[in-house]
Amino acid sequence: MSEKISINPVTLDIVKDSLIAVSNEIFYAFAQTSMSPIIYETLDYASGIADAEGRLLTQGNGVTGFIGMISPMICAVVDKYGKENLNPGDVYIINDPFMGGGTHMSDVGMVMPIFYQGELIAFAGNKAHWSDIGGMAPGSFTTDATNLFQEGMCFSGTKLVDRGQLIEPVWDLMRSNMRYPQVSQGDMWGQISSLRTGEKRIGELCEKYGADVVKGSMERLIAQGELVARRRLKEMPKGTWEMDEYMDDDGHGNPVHLQVKVTITEDEFVADFTGSDPQVIGCVNSGATAAYAGVKVVFMSVVGPELAVNDGVFAPLKTICEQGSVLKANRPAATSCYYESMIYVIDLVWKALAPVFPESLGAGHLLSVCTVLMSGKHQDFGNDYLIIEPTVGGWGASRGHDGQVGQFCVGDGETYNVPVEMAETRYGIRVDEHSLHTDGAGAGEFRGGSGAVRTYRSMNDNQTFTASFGRNKWPVWGAAGGKDGSINYFQFIDADGTVSDPMGIVARRVMNTNDVVRLVTATGGGYGDPLKRPPEKVAMDAKNEYITIAQAEADYGVLLDPETFAVLGLTEERRKAEGR
Amino acid sequence: MMKVATDIGGTFTDLVAIDENGKLILEKSHTTPPNFDQGVMDVLEKSGVEPGSIQAFFHGTTTIINALTERKGAKTALITTKGFRDILELARGNRPDLFNMVFEKPEPFVPRYLRREVAERVSYRGEIITPLSEEDICKAVEYLKKEQVEAIGVCYINSYANEEHERRTVEKIKELWPEVYVCPSVDITKEWREYERTSTAVLNAYVMPTASSYIDRLGQRLTDTGVCDNRYIMQSNGGTTTFEQAKLTPINVVESGPVAGVFGASILGKMIGEPNVIAFDVGGTTAKCSLIDQGEVKVTTSYYIEKTERSAGYPIMAPVVDIVEIGNGGGSIAWMDDAGSLKVGPKSAGALPGPVAYGKGGTEPTTTDANLIAGRLSAKNFDMEVSLEAVRRALTEKVGNPLGVDADEAAESIIRVADSNMNNALKLISVRRGYDPRDFTMVAFGGGGPMHGPTLARELNIRKVVVPVAASVFSAWGMLMSDIRHDFIQTKIMSFAEASMEELNAMWKAQMEEAASRFGAEGISPEQSVFTFIADMRYVGQEHTVQVNAPAYPWKEEDRAEIMARFHKTHEHFYTFSLPDTPAEIVNLHLVAYGQLSKPALQEIPAQEGDISGALKETRRVFFSGDGWLDTPIYERAGLGFGASAQGPLVVEEPTTATVVCPGQRLTVDKYGNLIVETEVA
Repeated sequence: MSEKISINPVTLDIVKDSLIAVSNEIFYAFAQTSMSPIIYETLDYASGIADAEGRLLTQGNGVTGFIGMISPMICAVVDKYGKENLNPGDVYIINDPFMGGGTHMSDVGMVMPIFYQGELIAFAGNKAHWSDIGGMAPGSFTTDATNLFQEGMCFSGTKLVDRGQLIEPVWDLMRSNMRYPQVSQGDMWGQISSLRTGEKRIGELCEKYGADVVKGSMERLIAQGELVARRRLKEMPKGTWEMDEYMDDDGHGNPVHLQVKVTITEDEFVADFTGSDPQVIGCVNSGATAAYAGVKVVFMSVVGPELAVNDGVFAPLKTICEQGSVLKANRPAATSCYYESMIYVIDLVWKALAPVFPESLGAGHLLSVCTVLMSGKHQDFGNDYLIIEPTVGGWGASRGHDGQVGQFCVGDGETYNVPVEMAETRYGIRVDEHSLHTDGAGAGEFRGGSGAVRTYRSMNDNQTFTASFGRNKWPVWGAAGGKDGSINYFQFIDADGTVSDPMGIVARRVMNTNDVVRLVTATGGGYGDPLKRPPEKVAMDAKNEYITIAQAEADYGVLLDPETFAVLGLTEERRKAEGR
Repeated sequence: MMKVATDIGGTFTDLVAIDENGKLILEKSHTTPPNFDQGVMDVLEKSGVEPGSIQAFFHGTTTIINALTERKGAKTALITTKGFRDILELARGNRPDLFNMVFEKPEPFVPRYLRREVAERVSYRGEIITPLSEEDICKAVEYLKKEQVEAIGVCYINSYANEEHERRTVEKIKELWPEVYVCPSVDITKEWREYERTSTAVLNAYVMPTASSYIDRLGQRLTDTGVCDNRYIMQSNGGTTTFEQAKLTPINVVESGPVAGVFGASILGKMIGEPNVIAFDVGGTTAKCSLIDQGEVKVTTSYYIEKTERSAGYPIMAPVVDIVEIGNGGGSIAWMDDAGSLKVGPKSAGALPGPVAYGKGGTEPTTTDANLIAGRLSAKNFDMEVSLEAVRRALTEKVGNPLGVDADEAAESIIRVADSNMNNALKLISVRRGYDPRDFTMVAFGGGGPMHGPTLARELNIRKVVVPVAASVFSAWGMLMSDIRHDFIQTKIMSFAEASMEELNAMWKAQMEEAASRFGAEGISPEQSVFTFIADMRYVGQEHTVQVNAPAYPWKEEDRAEIMARFHKTHEHFYTFSLPDTPAEIVNLHLVAYGQLSKPALQEIPAQEGDISGALKETRRVFFSGDGWLDTPIYERAGLGFGASAQGPLVVEEPTTATVVCPGQRLTVDKYGNLIVETEVA
């Protein structure tokens, strides 16, 4: 009986499904208990299970940006200590940007080896954005950092739990260096307890099916991932595509040049970033991860967004960056805003491949996370509060579809905005407006989706506002003849009526009572010739006030009655284009 | 005198009636879209129940969910606070389909031009910052009249903290336009989160006209045939409401049918002394499970329609019984994925063409086909002629050949994968939420529940499985046993250590008064009213709350420590840890108000005389997961009396389902005729 089971592929599949279920369980358990809005609303964390070699088996993702970062983190711990020195119940903490899938230091990783009957059988790992990890600014990541030491405490695979016992001196040191130790303590235990759940569940699977069956199902999972990815790669168009672009700003006013050459062959998908700028003084550097993760995101979207993420799927993938470049910086470069580089990488590869994969990739989107950090004291309760949140914006249109409105950028994912009603309770602000930014940009046969407007009215004095809105200098790109979208910006309207210039980046700007900051995000790029958009659709666009009557005429060549929105006719240009 | 319940399903409209002696009448008739009331009248007539003898009429309906999913509701508008008309379209900005760059967000039920803004504002504490502009309301109404909308949802920012502006707006709209359907969000919920509350108000408005015309039409026909006025509709919260109330808050009826089965399981559990129950319902397209802790059906307000792994869906912030549903039913199709793994569901062959066995043109093998080949179902028990050869062929071609096995082993594999899927769903509601399945009894119903339940119970160490009488129409039975239920939820964030008991009690009191007034309109006396008190609490800084069963009103100062202790314990139960030094907050007060209705007695069945060999139909080869193929005796359920008992392996057949008892399990029949399957558990 047992002999038969060990070779039965259905049994392996059942165990494989159970491994995925375990991964889901540890993912959701963590969000439920977290004390950080960036975790429970933004879902800025990931968790995963790897085999004894550290190969990723399954990953629960809240955001795309953490894709494939669990595995290098595990390997870094193994390299540092050696497998023979890991013990059941150990947990290691790692946020070093320059080792093991490092991002910025706010993302705190934890790794736990899992043993069954004395044998190392798997690893569980997770990584979550902590509200604060020390450093020069509340929330730790900031737009004007110039080196690692300003950005908080760095853990390079430090042992935090030894055989099930928290190493108190380590926690003691952490606690003394953080602004919100209570919150971080909650997140730390949430992460540890979710790893322990993974350990328990994998133990149960081994108990039920035997360690060999569990190991066999791990092999099968990775082999199947690779099989499907390679098969789909064979079906892709082959060739080389190049693209280059400038990132707005390194935090000190300097644009950063990025370039990529994507080559697809029968058995490889290579993204080569050679020629991109050297590392910069500001904090948009990355320790290799931005490029590696960014390419994985686009790869997933063209190879099959529905595929389960594991190291088998990524077998055909290769990413090349030069050491010392902004995409593979040397210690101790500042990396607070590494994620902006990552998303520029995604956008760059996306733009290079958009004409090649029109079914999977449309026109450009708002691109930036449009991060807001605001801190101060609540006007009624007097407590310190901290807003760390991304901002929604417009997505590009694609073949057959208008762009989506008010969505987080590609680097986010199952990310939720903070409801106005919660924000007003929790933070020292009031929201006067949260609406669509209907500037009518992104005209096309398929129209770019609208960005958003959100305002924060400061309800107290001496609050500080930090933000990084990329895609502020050059607008979102249109595709296949569609027009460009718009840019992201924010603007201060102070209580005395002074209105600031629109801007894309600011660090710790003081806001007093009744000063307002207005956040405005880009409309996505259009797809296809606007003159081909059916007039009745243009009429509804105008009736819904996504575009104006004047834009209907100028961009789409459709004349509308301003009262009834009835189609009155077409412009000469459009009639000509239609050959009438 | 009779109590009657009718439940509209996808294919059949079920009827269960019970008389004062507890005698049950079961009937089925075809569902008749789009005039669902016809099916109800049909099944009533077919059952032979004398309309004049009906003392209470219970009803479960899919009308509301159908109107939503088929987009057949009214032309609906939204009136909202100035600056916020796009909340409905912005939604929460989440993208479950992470790597899909051409994903599509759910389209709002109200287009932008029908979302009108009114100047008004209250603060998060409920203070009025900007007075309500009646002029704006007039303008909006004028515009919407021109656009010929049929229903209007009203939702203002922070209305959960002060409902005055919403109420006044609705009053004004009714003055200006008496015919239009209008619904303020606070009629459904006073929980915070503006997008979810707006969505709820909009969806409620969207189905109000449908609900009214359906309920009025059915009501009229019931009146015409002489059925009395005690008429109740099953709500998603596991209780009923009157026909009249359901017209105002039809969104509360959205999960009408499925929850009745869960509620029935809780009642059955109480009757047989098993307050801890896992309700397990396997139908044609899905398997549903829900956990009942100490007799309490769990209710949540984070419910969505059309939410999938790929889509954010639409939130409905109304209390709904917490059910985990997976796409694994009798009609679920078995298929091979890209990588060569066998999958079962979520795609279903439905009622048409249905499983291959139905002979209605189905070519894809389903769980039912596998159960047939595995001997767990009998071809003789189908309504139609079954071609076993066609079933074997489909199993071999679609599953056997790719796996390199024969039809028998293909059937085994499908059953094992289906069981594994259901097993994961059952774990999700139990083990993963801190419950030990050993402490629970499974109530298995629906066509497939009794077939898969005992095997799964053995896997999960559940000691006992109960297969109720009328297992395939159990939802309707559950309705007969239900009470009126209303949930009142009020968000108010308070530090629990500092909150004044006076203020908390005032909030409870306001909710109890609201309940009393609703009960008054429904003809429920104070003696029939029962309240339970739930506090949604969390540690300061957390977002998600846990439901703490709180002491009854009024709370006293000494209750504070007790409530805090219960909170720590509940948190530890669900999340394996508590933080004893961390302060806690109250987020919501949740009053559950029951209007108790009289319950019918249950009829007992005659005792078993002698052994059960008289009920033996045949012996055939049956596949058991983990034990392989065994010669297995097959019994007729109708031939088993109270006290009958036998050792597995065996199968008990009845017209609509079969109970598969594994080796090592023991079957007994209790005095009500329930089949009890017990497993020795370590």
